Amino acid sequence: MSEKPPFHSRKTYRPGLVFQPQAQENIKRGLNTLVSAIRPTLGPTARTVAVTSLIENKDTPEVLDDGGIIARRVIELHRRDADVGAMLARALICRQNERMGDGSATAAVLLQAIYNGGLHYLASGGNAMRLRHHLERALEKSLVALDEQTYTVEGKHRLAQVAESICHDPDLAKLLGEIFDIIGAYGRLDIRKDHSRILRREYIEGMAWDSGLFSRDMIVNRSELQTVYEEPALVLVDSKVNDPRHIMPMLEIAVDQEIEKLILVAADLSAEAMAGLMMANGKLKNFQVMAVKGPGMNADDRAAAFEDIAIATGAKTLVEAAGDGLKDVTYGHFGRARRGWASAHNFGVIGGKGDPRKLRQHISRLQGWLEQSDDPLMREALQKRIGRLMGGSATLWIGGVSEIEIDQQKTLAEKTASAMRAAVSDGVLPGGGMAYMNCRSVLESKSQAGDDPDERAAHRILFDALAEPARAIYENAGYEPGEVIAKLSDLDNGFGFDVISGAITNGGELVDSAAVMKAALRNAVLTAGMMLTIDVIAHHQTPEIARQPG
Amino acid sequence: MRAEVISLEFTGLDESAYALAASPGFAKDGFCFAATSEGLHRSTDGGRDWKLLRITDEPVYQMAATALAVSPAFGQDRTVFAAVKGGILRSSDGGDTWFAAKFPAPPPLFTTLAISPNFAQDGLMLAGAMEDGVFSSTDRGVNWQPWNFGLFDLGVLCLAASPHLGEDETIFAGTETGLYRSANGGRAWREIGFPSEFAPVLSLAYTAGKDEPLLLAGTEDKGLFISCDEGASWDRTSPDALPGSVNQLQILYKSDGHAEIYALAEDGVLSSRDAGQNWDFLIRTEVPPTAILVPDPGGEAMFLGLTGKGIVQYEL
Repeated sequence: MSEKPPFHSRKTYRPGLVFQPQAQENIKRGLNTLVSAIRPTLGPTARTVAVTSLIENKDTPEVLDDGGIIARRVIELHRRDADVGAMLARALICRQNERMGDGSATAAVLLQAIYNGGLHYLASGGNAMRLRHHLERALEKSLVALDEQTYTVEGKHRLAQVAESICHDPDLAKLLGEIFDIIGAYGRLDIRKDHSRILRREYIEGMAWDSGLFSRDMIVNRSELQTVYEEPALVLVDSKVNDPRHIMPMLEIAVDQEIEKLILVAADLSAEAMAGLMMANGKLKNFQVMAVKGPGMNADDRAAAFEDIAIATGAKTLVEAAGDGLKDVTYGHFGRARRGWASAHNFGVIGGKGDPRKLRQHISRLQGWLEQSDDPLMREALQKRIGRLMGGSATLWIGGVSEIEIDQQKTLAEKTASAMRAAVSDGVLPGGGMAYMNCRSVLESKSQAGDDPDERAAHRILFDALAEPARAIYENAGYEPGEVIAKLSDLDNGFGFDVISGAITNGGELVDSAAVMKAALRNAVLTAGMMLTIDVIAHHQTPEIARQPG
Repeated sequence: MRAEVISLEFTGLDESAYALAASPGFAKDGFCFAATSEGLHRSTDGGRDWKLLRITDEPVYQMAATALAVSPAFGQDRTVFAAVKGGILRSSDGGDTWFAAKFPAPPPLFTTLAISPNFAQDGLMLAGAMEDGVFSSTDRGVNWQPWNFGLFDLGVLCLAASPHLGEDETIFAGTETGLYRSANGGRAWREIGFPSEFAPVLSLAYTAGKDEPLLLAGTEDKGLFISCDEGASWDRTSPDALPGSVNQLQILYKSDGHAEIYALAEDGVLSSRDAGQNWDFLIRTEVPPTAILVPDPGGEAMFLGLTGKGIVQYEL
């Protein structure tokens, strides 16, 4: 059997510069090639794209209907000038997908329409920089018009409708509607594979972390493999407890203060110190202690977890960097909770007795960081922390008849959950591209009667582009876009066309996440504006092998 | 309109009543209940005679009752609930026999009970506890589970369910440090814009009828606050009449369709007939009142619990 070539050609390019008009022509070609592969996936009746496998011994192509994943799979176009346009579009699409979880095909279609319209105008002598400036001004008007259409959704039934408009799977949508009705925009949701054939959900009370007891000998309830304490006190130390003598001050305070249950959370614990605690469990009357590993994979994670536990329970962490160890503990370092539990792999507290005002401020601070952060890993970590502190979590278990189905369903659930968070947090808009169509009225007057030709052109380009997502949705569903848009133009703003039923509906049933739609439009306009100002392409000798989005 | 106290009558109870509740058909059946420091009392003759009920043989429940709730369909289901330390008792025969629901240890100290206006159909009840937040039952009080998602402060002091709970699923919870709203029947909570410096919130009343929704929050020492936008913004009302604590609020819909609101202050009972904008003293008391009940929509009788003096009945 002959060896297959590596997925990326290693040929060496000659360095060079490409000037106008070839530069823009090639960028346009690359952009249109990539977006043409993504456009069929827009809407509830999305068609699919088959992507050949990158893995040598896997011959079955992937069949995809997610614009973000398709864009990710396209790592290079053959022609390197066109590749510049494709990769700029790819960066936008991947960013939209990573940040919002949805709207990547919408962003792609908008980008294509704005760029092509802009290029057409520039060919007739327009000024690229001024066009970009006016596109950004028109964008602001459109975003305001979207804000005016935005409304909040509450209740599991309405949220299930939102979920269904994203995932087009009624069973998954029903469960996600209920879950987001409970956990809201910031609550913690774990999506996990299940061995059953159905979807199911589970709610967990209190805060829980992924680290457990130092020793299984501390498990009291052998049938449930966990230890539960009522009214425990907590001591937090972010360093290793080596010397068994260092646990004595903690035990003395516990006895003095008549504490009957104590949870020690430490970064690490020596065998000798553990033996000391086990001895205390046996010798001290009416006293039980369990030792739990400090949560977190690294020092930053651990510091964050200690901070959260401390605020939730009113404890003060003994911080090694400040020179404090367990030997320095005072009664002021002790926190409290209504209940605490731990197993070999997890521990949690229910009803932490920290100051609710401080907890509220802490959560607000984390929410502020989350809103400002663009780093996906940082966002995920902050999301988990906030969700935990909200006092409970939900788990969605994904079952199915085969591993492939479970994997696909899990990916769909994750994508829908991400878009649902945005919908719960920032509200929803009329779906099916109608929100964009409704924005066109604010651009219409300037597109026809403005004094500045660049301003007029920018408004006209965006006016036309805002109809493109709806046109693509109708086209993909097999309808003639012109006919549907003509029918809708006779009706008020509240009406839309449901491509599933083939009927005009008066709103409410078709919805999209407002944050997703606004991000798609903003990203598309800003990227198109930037691309329109490119005058020269400069090639290095060897291009990067795979470009990361963003 | 200022109501006049025509007469008053002492019931013969010596201890403090923490909560009072009456059958919706009080005018006909005369059933009313009092949660007192001694235990649970019942009157079946319109409040003239009160009898201490024997709850259970278990001594743990022969103690102070802290909250009460009577089924809106009491005439048919004879169901009444009483909160005691560590448990919630349920009777389905008007208080003759009682069953205790189990709760996870440590035993919760319940402060308030709220019953769905649509209880006969949905069987929904909520209970607020001092350190455990909100518990809910959807099977007529047989089984309870904690519903605290989003409730940062588990010191719940009062609950108020929407009169249209079946449709809007709206419930409010007042806590030691703020005020929370649930838009899904108590399954999850979101903090609303009540200024935390005015907390604790001791009492709540909510009405959402034909007019704009009205939410009232009585505080421990900062008077009474009103919100007409479901808690997004608040105004302090009548600081002269209500300068300090407002321990309990009751909304009574009169036969002419409008609502009369009663507020239990440190030194008596005040009422308002203009959606809480103006308040007049209805009754001034020598000792702090502890609970209020106006059982009859006709508004001819009022029961008032007084510190150390049992229950006083007024004719309005």
